[in-house]
Amino acid sequence: MLPFLKIMVKNLLAGPSTEAFPFAPAHTPARFRGKANHDKNKCILCGICRHVCAAGAIQMRVVEDGSGVEYVLWHNSCVFCGLCAHYCPTKALTMTDDWHLAHRGEDRFAVREDSFVRYGQCSTCGARIQPRPAVIVEALGTRYPDRFMMCPSCKRESLAKRSVPAKPDMETSETSDE
Amino acid sequence: MFKSLGSLVTRSPWIYRLNAGSCNGCDVEMATTALIPRYDVERLGCKYCGSPRHADIVLISGPLTLRVRDKVLRVFDEIPHPKVTVAVGVCPVTGGAFRDSYTCDTALDQYINLDVIVPGCPPRPQAIIEGIAKALEVWKERMEEGACSRS
Repeated sequence: MLPFLKIMVKNLLAGPSTEAFPFAPAHTPARFRGKANHDKNKCILCGICRHVCAAGAIQMRVVEDGSGVEYVLWHNSCVFCGLCAHYCPTKALTMTDDWHLAHRGEDRFAVREDSFVRYGQCSTCGARIQPRPAVIVEALGTRYPDRFMMCPSCKRESLAKRSVPAKPDMETSETSDE
Repeated sequence: MFKSLGSLVTRSPWIYRLNAGSCNGCDVEMATTALIPRYDVERLGCKYCGSPRHADIVLISGPLTLRVRDKVLRVFDEIPHPKVTVAVGVCPVTGGAFRDSYTCDTALDQYINLDVIVPGCPPRPQAIIEGIAKALEVWKERMEEGACSRS
């Protein structure tokens, strides 16, 4: 008898099924791919993000004096596929869960990720090399700290000059990981 | 007279969806925003209408393909002033994944002035609601000024 009463009471107790969003914060899943974030302190300018970007949203331009690279990621071109973050070897690019990107039309050229990454310098000859930020030096450059800060030619030179102890039983093992 | 009507009418904007060659991803999200009680854009007083002549806020999706270009512009001109355009997704702004395609010559914003942009591919329903809330502000400003979006 009167089966709708049961449903009515159930719905009354359950509360509204509508999300309160514009008037209260919305729930965002933990792995939601929102706007990309570029950390210039981890970037080594390998350019793989620009290479894999499906929409061509990433631009890297060498500045006029050649001291570094201007890195721009346009959120209005990005299709939020997350390939850049997936392929970034140093995790400098990450996808945040921030989706509050709606903006006025006149602000369209301001909606971008803008950073300047400075080139590194060879510790011996001063030539331009890839950036050597502190995070990368700690992660990769601890085994051979001197050679890690050199340009390829200085590195080759230092390897050739180094004195190898003449031991008959050590023929190939010394240079195995270079 | 216009002013007093303006304050009343801004409480219930009617929304019109315009598909400019979209892949339907954004259209599905727009339908979701309106039809599913979980998101329910009608709380803002919005209502989807079928005729461009009744519309106040236009939601545009798609990169404006050559095949629909003239039709889209004709329908857009039928919408009465002051209209507010909301670009849903990245396609209307830059072409998104379809940029430099042989089916579209240039992005939609070369033809139509975009007042609010909701980037995403597609944007989530909450982001569309956020964009509509921004469009409401724009629309209120327009009604106070009595200005047109395109003349």
